[in-house]
Amino acid sequence: MQILVVDDDALASEMIAAVLEDEGHQVFQTENAIDALALLGQEAGIALVVSDMNMPFMSGVDLYQELQSQGSQLPFILLTGDDPKAAWAQAPTINACIMKDFSMEETLPAAISNVMVIAS
Amino acid sequence: MSSKKPSLQEKIARLRASFVEQLPKRLAQAQQHFNLLRSDPEMNRVLAVELHRAFHSLKGTGKSFGFIDLANAADKAEAYTQQFMDLPADCTPSDWPDTLISLMHQVAAQVQILAYSDLKNDCVLDAPFFDVEETVAMRSSSHSPLVYICDDELEQVDHLACQLRCFGYQIEHFTETSAFHQAVLKKRPDAVVMDVFFPQGKTAGTDELASLKGINGQHLPSIVLSGREDFEARLSAVRAGCSAYFIKPAKPLELAAAIDDLVCDKQEEPFRILVLDDESEVAEYHSLILEKAGMLVQQIHKPELVLDALRGFNPDLVLADMYMPNCDGVEVAAIIRQVPEYVGLPIVFLSSETNRKKQFKAMQVGVEGFITKPVVPEDLVASVALRAERMRTLRGLMAKDSLTGLYNHTTTTEMMSTSLAHAIRQKETLAVVMLDLDKFKTVNDTYGHMAGDQVIVAIARLLKHRLRTTDIIGRYGGEEFALLLKNLTPEKAEALVNELREDFSKIIFNAGNRQFNVTFSAGVSFYPDYNRPEDLRMAADEALYQAKNQGRNQVVVGKDKV
Repeated sequence: MQILVVDDDALASEMIAAVLEDEGHQVFQTENAIDALALLGQEAGIALVVSDMNMPFMSGVDLYQELQSQGSQLPFILLTGDDPKAAWAQAPTINACIMKDFSMEETLPAAISNVMVIAS
Repeated sequence: MSSKKPSLQEKIARLRASFVEQLPKRLAQAQQHFNLLRSDPEMNRVLAVELHRAFHSLKGTGKSFGFIDLANAADKAEAYTQQFMDLPADCTPSDWPDTLISLMHQVAAQVQILAYSDLKNDCVLDAPFFDVEETVAMRSSSHSPLVYICDDELEQVDHLACQLRCFGYQIEHFTETSAFHQAVLKKRPDAVVMDVFFPQGKTAGTDELASLKGINGQHLPSIVLSGREDFEARLSAVRAGCSAYFIKPAKPLELAAAIDDLVCDKQEEPFRILVLDDESEVAEYHSLILEKAGMLVQQIHKPELVLDALRGFNPDLVLADMYMPNCDGVEVAAIIRQVPEYVGLPIVFLSSETNRKKQFKAMQVGVEGFITKPVVPEDLVASVALRAERMRTLRGLMAKDSLTGLYNHTTTTEMMSTSLAHAIRQKETLAVVMLDLDKFKTVNDTYGHMAGDQVIVAIARLLKHRLRTTDIIGRYGGEEFALLLKNLTPEKAEALVNELREDFSKIIFNAGNRQFNVTFSAGVSFYPDYNRPEDLRMAADEALYQAKNQGRNQVVVGKDKV
């Protein structure tokens, strides 16, 4: 599956990409929401967005809401360093919201399979 | 950890290592943002957002890599920054810089712990996954830099030279380029301030610099001070390799800052490495390799001497043999770690041990890395330099005041104890000077905080240039400084502080188009008059109090009351 990872911290982004690639996914990376929107316009094959919450200019939730307003149905997973409940409360229709921590290599693949099952 | 394929684990390990390597840089950047924010909280308010993001990112990414303590420290700093941003500018608590500094120190402490226990030790020379900018070693204080001024306008130069001398530079003045030329050939200065126009030619000054470069192939570190503002003059300065261009009349304070930039580039103290090996020939061989690379090395051949050597030599890194009779390297490392001040000291083992289990045991006591025997000289130098440098950067961030680069309160207090212990052992004297700017609050209230900071930086500069490298200078509080002067007679110490006081009072500060002077008062106490650190400090404080009461701008020596 093709997945877009959005994170302004290059190392965090690489970390997420490493986990996803290990699961056999093809990963695109952008470091902000604006580039993410542009890339989504070009790459029709992307089937899922995994985005950081706290980024300059546009947060992860802003990105999600922008996509919604464009009529996008892409499944969206939000990652956050803070309490995930607080971020999720801002946009309850986001498919999943995960805490950034060292268990991400397990929680993220688990969340993806959940989200994809429900989405299909 | 789960039973993932090794490739993922390897990738994550590399990313973790890159993250740890980047930490000092991230921290330094946050510190820079903080400095700017503090210097003008209203103008630079946007930097609070940057700072917040930096902490947030440290927290999030730190957590992703499993560095929980770091994430927690960053979380606290983030929360405080958020609070700061939420309050209107006029409601921020006055102690916000101190609170934020202490939070940043907590983050720095975690970074330090990580940097020395990070688990990628067995692949010291693996290139990091991401490029890491080189960190700059903290500057060490030095002797009075020698500055040549070459300018034919006597009156202006006299004033300038006089002001620069107050900052502790040695100034020599030449009115003709030929005399300047001769002087440079005789003794190369640390910096040059050069005029462009001389009677012999429109760009004779800069031409002279260019021709000197032709002689020894090196640019002299120079600054142009000129009455000309045209393109030709500026171009000639660029071609002569000058790093700054000032138009007359230049402010001495700004010129001093530019000269400091020139001078500090080349002042890096060599790394200090302690080599511990029971075989003296082996120790000698490794010392030679490191010394050839410009490091300062002390060898010891008995593990039981290690604590004395650490105290006396104060190394940046310990290079120890893993196998020695009586006491092996792991045990020595554990002993070193028992002493709180050496918890962060990098220890590198030399061994033929490739057994991972044994290496791991060593890492549990916080050993930095392994270098396998027989050593490749370049590898040894590279891995030692890398670690020693990291140590210095971190130590600098933790120990120094961000505005002045002087030791902060905590470090100064520690230094007072260690310097006193040293003086007692060596049967030397020690003078403790507490120095406080007079009516500094009035300066801040009248001319603004920017002007106030300018004064703080100026006195720091003066102290750094005028005191010996062995003396210790600390910023003890907002406008309070502590000096530890080693092995001076009371008369000499008092005379020295009085000279500093007189020179400082002559410095002219500018705020807008207003000019002002600032003075300081100082109290001095001595070991052996007092022989406990807190007594020394209190005696100096009392003397300072007396100096203030007697009308300020003076030095009082605390007499032994026993």
